[in-house]
Order: sequence, then structure tokens, then C-alpha cells
Amino acid sequence: MRRLFANRVALATGLIVILMSVLFALSRVAG
Amino acid sequence: MLPYPVRVAVWIIVYLLFILGPLFALLVGALPPARDFWTEFSVALGYAGLAMMSLQFGLTARFRYVTNPWGEDIIYHFHRQISLIAVGLVVAHPLILFAVRPELLALLNSIQAPWRARFAAMSTYSLIALVVMSLWRVKLNIRYETWHLTHILLAIIAVTAGIAHMIGWGFYLVYPWKRALWIGLTIFWIGLLLYIRIIKPLFQLRRPYRVSEVREERGDTWTLVMQPDGHPGFRFTPGQFGWLTVWGSPFKITGHPFSFSSSAAVTDGRVDMTIRNLGDLTSEIHKVPVGKRVYLDGPYGAFTIGNPADMHVLIAGGVGITPMMSMLRTLADHGDKRPVILLYGSRDWESITFREELEALKERLNLTIIHVLSNPPAGWTGEQGRIDAEVFRRHLPPPYADHEYFICGPNVMMDSIEKALGELHVPMSKYHSERYSFV
Repeated sequence: MRRLFANRVALATGLIVILMSVLFALSRVAG
Repeated sequence: MLPYPVRVAVWIIVYLLFILGPLFALLVGALPPARDFWTEFSVALGYAGLAMMSLQFGLTARFRYVTNPWGEDIIYHFHRQISLIAVGLVVAHPLILFAVRPELLALLNSIQAPWRARFAAMSTYSLIALVVMSLWRVKLNIRYETWHLTHILLAIIAVTAGIAHMIGWGFYLVYPWKRALWIGLTIFWIGLLLYIRIIKPLFQLRRPYRVSEVREERGDTWTLVMQPDGHPGFRFTPGQFGWLTVWGSPFKITGHPFSFSSSAAVTDGRVDMTIRNLGDLTSEIHKVPVGKRVYLDGPYGAFTIGNPADMHVLIAGGVGITPMMSMLRTLADHGDKRPVILLYGSRDWESITFREELEALKERLNLTIIHVLSNPPAGWTGEQGRIDAEVFRRHLPPPYADHEYFICGPNVMMDSIEKALGELHVPMSKYHSERYSFV
């Protein structure tokens, strides 16, 4: 269960980083 | 101290800040003209992926305030999982670029490519090799020590080549302060590795231990009794573990994690580790001569009985009894009379490590022991098979969520026990576990 939780934290972290990278690119293109 | 969920949330935010802070710092100040969305996206992935890889040095630097809210085993598990994501981001960076700008494929020719591209290739190939060796170390028949040394070298090459690639390309790192930020962070993270591998061993070298007894226990298991040599030693809390280097100096990558099995109430710095022969380095433990100088790095681990509870439920499988033994001995030394139930899974009656001492501890504690044998002798009327939800229902008083659970044993057993506790609606905050096979 704790490892499942750690897996979810890792996955959520990865998704946040990808979303922020999209935001980074959008801010550049839009700016 | 902050509640557990808050501490966890704070650490996730801190972790993300270390990745996203340097990334978005790149957008500060005057910038060169933007390129298309996919190029900018791939560049952001490359920067973020490298920041995540660098942070891996911090995760494994054995800082107690980093590992304690989670447990060392979970930190290493997260280290493995997040590395797959980070490598995915780093590899996605060139793949997206090649897809949107096919002319960049020429950079794959390392003979004609500029250095900045060669560094990128070096970093990416090192990361891929690092992941392959980690996922399939056993199948590839690579010795643990060889793998560990290669793992460290490949990680250093991957991160330094990655930062060299960024500096070489220089698109976002024109300002000296941005270069300083990224180089400084990289040096800091790699510096943590040097701290663990050079500075800490230097301290350990001056604080050795001497083996004062090597005691045979039931179940092909041996207890090393160690005394600090010329220093007071350290204090630990029951359930914690240390990295033990028996053969060679603390600079050698031969340290292995073992739980302390002695009482934490001793005041002379004595530390016991009880180690089962599992065929690797552990098969040599019984050959350790009395008087041998050994090195201990510790204590580590969040698997401790600091939490107040009406009842402690200790669940041990095989040599997973060692941290429990430390807990029971300490509770006995403190005269603690709170009820404790020990569910102890063993192969057979003869191989139950600490069998006699556990019986004796019943006199000093409010202790109930339930042995669960996978290979019981003829006429055995006790529990047999595996520890599961039914065993809990037969021996634990409800409500189950009121107790504090401590679990240590082989991975398969830990998985099934965590599942069983889930079936009994025990919240995650109520159980504590440490997997001893986390490296």
C-alpha cells in the first residue's frame, strides 16, 4: 500500500512536470 | 511536529520546487525569440528531466529529515519509479526535436557532431544504461558491488554531460546567473554524493566498532554484537537500521543495511545486528572473528515505536523479527506494560529465531505471541500457512483501526499483509513497515 502510494506520488509528480513544461512552452509561444 | 499528511505534502512541494524553480527561472529577463511550441516543450522536458535526475542524488543521500516521513525503503522505491519518468522526459527531448526538425538527426553522427551534441548523446546513453542495469541487474548477472559502483559513475556522467550540453547550447543560459544557478545546483547534488561516499566514511573511519561476540541463533542466523571503539557510539530508536561494512574500509561500496536487534535502552553504545544467511554477503557473517574492526553508518529509518497506541501489533516474517526484537527488548527494559501482540511467521518450529528469548520476554511484558508456521510439525495445533486477514480476525481485538501495526518481512509477505490490513479498513497512517530488501 505504501509502495502503491509512492507509485502514485511519482506518477503525479511526472504529470505535474509535463504540464508545467507545456505551460513553459505555451508562455514562450504566446509571449 | 506536523501531522503526517502535511509533512508528506510539504516534501512533495519542496521536491517540485527544486525541479520547476530552476526551469521557470530560465524565463526571467530578456529572452531570445521563441521557437515553435514542440521545440520549446521538448527543451522544457530536457531541463526538467535533468533536474529530476540531479535530485536523485539528494533522495539517496540518507538525510534523516528527508527519509523519516516516508521510510528509507519507500524513498528508494520512489527513487526507482521517478527515475523511469525522468529518463522518459530526457529521452522525449531529442525524440520530439527529431520529429519536428528532422535535419537535427545529423547530430546523431557523433564523429561530425559538435561537442554540445556529443554531450547530449553521452548523457542519454548513460541514463539508458543506468536504467537497464538497475531493472535487470539480477538477470544480467551483475554483482551488487559492481552494479553500485557503475550506477554512481553513470549517474555522475549523465548529469555532468547533460549540464555540459545545456551550457554548450546556451539558448536559455546566456545570462551568467542562470548558468551559475544550473551549474551550482548540479555541483550541490553531486556534492551530496561525495558527502556520503567520502566525508561520511572519513567520520566513520574515526568511529569504528569492534565485534565482541558472534552468536548463533536459530534459523541459520547470526547475531553480531558490536562495541564502539574509542567513542561513545550513537543512540537509536528500536526498529531503526544501520549500514554495516564488515570487510574493508567504509570507503568501499560494501555496506549493507541491517536492523538493530538489541535494546535501545543500553547506555554503553553496544549495538547488535542479527543477520540470516541468505547466500550473499550474509553467508560470511559467521566467519567474522571476535575483535574485528567494523564500521556502522546509522541510525536510519522511520520504522520506530514512538507513536502512542493502546496496542502494538508486531508482524514479522523470518528474519524480519530483528527490528521487532529490538522493540520488545526496549519495551521490556522500560517496563512498558501496554499490550503487544506478535504475529510471527516462520518456516518451521526449529527455525524460529529468538524462540526461547521471546518466551522469556512474556514474563516482563504484556506480550502475546502467535507463531504461524508454513511447515508445521506433526501435531501442531497453532496457526499454519501465511499471516492473512483471517489470522488477524482470530487473534486481534476489534476495532482493528485502533491498533498500531509494525510489519517487517519478505516482500511477498509484506504485500499480502498490507492487502489484509486494507481489507480490515486499517488506515495507512496506522501501519508502519520497512522492507529490508530495498537495494
